[in-house]
Amino acid sequence: MTFSLTLSASDLLLLLPELFLTAWLCVVLIADFSFKRIVQEQLAYLTILGLTMTLACLVWFDITGLTGTLFGKMFVLDRLAIFFKVLILLATILVILLSIDYVHRFSFFRGEYYFLVAMSALGMMFMASANDLLSLFVTLEFATFGFYVLVSYLREDMASNEAGLKFFILGVFAAGLLAYGISLVFGETGKLVFSDMSGATPTTGLVIGFLLIFAALGFKIGAVPFHSWIPDTYQGAPTPVTAFLSIAPKVAAFAILLRLFLVALATFKPAWTLLIVAASILSMTYGNIVAISQRNIKRLLAYSGIAQVGNVLIGLAAGTKMGTDSILFYLLTYLFANLGAFAVIMAISNAVGSDEIDDYSGLNRRSPFLAFAMLLFLLSLAGVPPLAGFIGKLYIFVAAIKEGLYVLITVGLINIVISMYYYLIVVKKMYISEPLDTSPIKTTGPLRAVIYVGLAGTLVIGIYPQPFLDWAVAATLMFSHFMAPSASMPPPATPFGG
Amino acid sequence: MAEYTLLIILFAPFAGALTLIFVSNRQLSLVRGIAAGSAFISLIASIYLFYAYDPLRGGFQFIQRIEWSRQLGIALHLGVDGIGTPLVLASSILLFAGIFVSWHIKDRIKEFYIWILILAAATIGVFISLDLFFLYFFYEMSVIPMYLLLGMWGSHTKKYLEMTDPEGLKQRDSVGFIFNFGANSKEYAAMKLVLFLSAFAVVALMGILLIYKFSGLNTFDILVLREQAHFSGPLATVIWLLIFFGFASIAPIWPLHSWSPVGHAAAPAATSMLHAGVLMKLGHFSIIRVAFEILPETTRELMPIAAVLCIFSIIYGGLVAYYAKDTKYVIGYSSSSHMGYVFLGMAALDYISLSGAVIYMFAHAMATGMLFAMAGWVYDQTHTRDIPSLGGLSNRMPFISAAFIIGCMASIGMPGTVNFIAEVMIIVGSWNKYPFQVVIAVLGIVLTMAYLFKMMRGLFYGSMAEKYSHSHDAVTVVDRLPLLIMITVSISFGIFPGHLYSVVRSGVDPLIARITKVVPVAEHSRDKSRAALPLMPPTAPEAIAKVAPQ
Repeated sequence: MTFSLTLSASDLLLLLPELFLTAWLCVVLIADFSFKRIVQEQLAYLTILGLTMTLACLVWFDITGLTGTLFGKMFVLDRLAIFFKVLILLATILVILLSIDYVHRFSFFRGEYYFLVAMSALGMMFMASANDLLSLFVTLEFATFGFYVLVSYLREDMASNEAGLKFFILGVFAAGLLAYGISLVFGETGKLVFSDMSGATPTTGLVIGFLLIFAALGFKIGAVPFHSWIPDTYQGAPTPVTAFLSIAPKVAAFAILLRLFLVALATFKPAWTLLIVAASILSMTYGNIVAISQRNIKRLLAYSGIAQVGNVLIGLAAGTKMGTDSILFYLLTYLFANLGAFAVIMAISNAVGSDEIDDYSGLNRRSPFLAFAMLLFLLSLAGVPPLAGFIGKLYIFVAAIKEGLYVLITVGLINIVISMYYYLIVVKKMYISEPLDTSPIKTTGPLRAVIYVGLAGTLVIGIYPQPFLDWAVAATLMFSHFMAPSASMPPPATPFGG
Repeated sequence: MAEYTLLIILFAPFAGALTLIFVSNRQLSLVRGIAAGSAFISLIASIYLFYAYDPLRGGFQFIQRIEWSRQLGIALHLGVDGIGTPLVLASSILLFAGIFVSWHIKDRIKEFYIWILILAAATIGVFISLDLFFLYFFYEMSVIPMYLLLGMWGSHTKKYLEMTDPEGLKQRDSVGFIFNFGANSKEYAAMKLVLFLSAFAVVALMGILLIYKFSGLNTFDILVLREQAHFSGPLATVIWLLIFFGFASIAPIWPLHSWSPVGHAAAPAATSMLHAGVLMKLGHFSIIRVAFEILPETTRELMPIAAVLCIFSIIYGGLVAYYAKDTKYVIGYSSSSHMGYVFLGMAALDYISLSGAVIYMFAHAMATGMLFAMAGWVYDQTHTRDIPSLGGLSNRMPFISAAFIIGCMASIGMPGTVNFIAEVMIIVGSWNKYPFQVVIAVLGIVLTMAYLFKMMRGLFYGSMAEKYSHSHDAVTVVDRLPLLIMITVSISFGIFPGHLYSVVRSGVDPLIARITKVVPVAEHSRDKSRAALPLMPPTAPEAIAKVAPQ
């Protein structure tokens, strides 16, 4: 194994988005403490400007088709990585917009907040490019670092501190598992790069090693049985951080999961399919059933998020190119619906000062716009046409049925109905119940902007998904070797024993 | 222009709903105008569609195909055959009438019209979809507006379980009771409806996904699947059962009916009209479009299931309607009961009976639309639906009570209404195959007469309580227009059924020929008007006179 640490100019180009963002982060930090009178909103827009330029750079890479690897394949920039980086940056920009009003609640360190959010985004961008076990560990910890601080940012709030502590202890535990798993895998195979491992013989140590790595990643995406930190952390963390936590780390972790399972473990697919199927069924069922009894909207979305991850895992269980496409597409639809829903939650929380579902009573009379937006976001999460979530779910089901995962699809379909119930409970509060307080709710500009973006994404992708499907399909061309065998195979005989 | 007819019918209500979002709730006349205008455009286009459809050519006409997703093999493929055309017409008539029925809503009228336009457009979308994906897309899309319409503008349904028979004994819908968790609120009714329909919709979706996988064609296009996909053995049985029970729940077939009367009772009048008038027909229509078209052999083997269940639908619904004390329960259960006739007509798999079933769907939409509109009017005036506490309203509401008699006559199937033709065709067409069910169906007509006359007497005759003396009749054009439209349609097609009959036959003939592999007589003679004669028993000469085109 040789590491080439000499960087040419063309290598640096591959790192340009990350390098640029790093430099920009320094600018943000310096601007924060050098100009004492700088308004924190300007700092927010400064960060957004940097993120937008990074996004533009990535879009340019996507159009020109620039790809390549660095540092002995530790860092890879392919279209999959670009797709995930774009999602992460989109989520970060929207989260910073969400934060602008909320940051007033922090007693100090207002400027550092934006720095920490953007730094986590930087870590997650590296995660999307991680291509070996070492960079997996380093980037994962780098990305999580910022979150440990962000979750406990409300220093005087006990819930926020508890959330931070819980997240930290379990997060460190997961990091330990990850490190142990990596050492086992490296010990058995002597390889670090994912693509080199595909021919390895399955020994006990290797299996345990990969199970430990899966556990650590399962912790990041919040799949059952590694979900226990999610509800308390989501509830206690500052709401914009919850919004960030609910989408960006999951997206980044799925980038690693895809590379791990479909590249490193491609040859063991029959063995790990069962594992993913089990995790998927447990996540969907547990998340949806527990969500029914929630009275706090952030907890409700926490459990619904667990269930949504179960849905995404269906696509991973399919393990085909189409399954990968469907995961990418689903995460895109989830991003708009989930961040939109959090924007509405924040608008209400700013006016009412509470996240209890009971306080959503009569929202339709207090603010028809917010109620309508929330209705569409929740229905998209539930998967009702013509919203984006429906296409996402259907795409995943189609990918899975082509692989004959009938049990998994049946469970998934039943779970759609269960989830419909608790989303409709919120709808009932908003539309049917009479308001306790009839004063209209005002929404500020940045929150409105996020809601508009969420609505646009949810409706446009739902009604005209073709360009987004094309984008997802193009991003996963590297997995197309999966498609070849299943396409040439004759359709299997009837599976019902006939 | 003509080729865009279906797009106009489908998107006019959507466009109306979209425009309404940007109108303030205070501009009352503008809100009403936009809603009525978009419904009117849709109605005019549907009337054009109905008369421009060429029954001699048959098949799917007005086809539109817009590529939607290459990866999934989905296209927005629209087209109507002789079965879809009358149902599209019925939907837009009921939407237009429903806009006027809900003219006087005070609370959040803008939102009401938005949701009702989306509901109607989605149901129309099902009737014109030639792609399994879009069929499901519009089907599922029609469910959520129902939740909001019931929840926001509905009324609580008191005493759901309390129905007394003449001896004063307590009766109840014991099958409905299984699924009833004791709540009588509109929220409960709305939630039950949505969960019930969604739960069975995903059953149908499973069937659709299995069709997609095992056809191996990578397409959701019904026309392609119909020609090229072949299913047999246990797989075909499983798919057929998933499709049948998934869609039959909305029809609603016994014992999956319990969401329906509760939903009818809680819903505002215009929603009940659309619900009973067209939403329930989505079930029959989707079974015909998916199961009959794609799985013809299995349909022939398994359709007797429907013939058995329809007995229970007819008798059970009729008996509960007889004992119910709430006007909307009576009409709701009568709808459940009458949908059993459609299942009987479908189960017999005969040219006459299936045509009868399709015409019955159209006829029932008009009849039940009238009844629900008038029950809504009475409720608005008296604020009760409790039949025993009402009475003598004919003095206060001469127009409504006269229209109500016509509505009852249509619902019973008196000669002169289109319901009569449909009923006779179903009975005559299924006599050879299911004589027992036909006897039940005739008993059901007697039962219908009993409960509708009982309700009519209870509402409009006898002595009137003093507190209702302020109630008044429908006098303005706006109030009378919806009823007049539905009465006119019902009677004019009853007297001149020719075009309707030939349109429906042009859709039914190729379908039954595929399923039963018996070529209709008309194929030989090229004269569709005589097609009915050899199959018609000599006992029903008046039926021949009615069904023959003018």
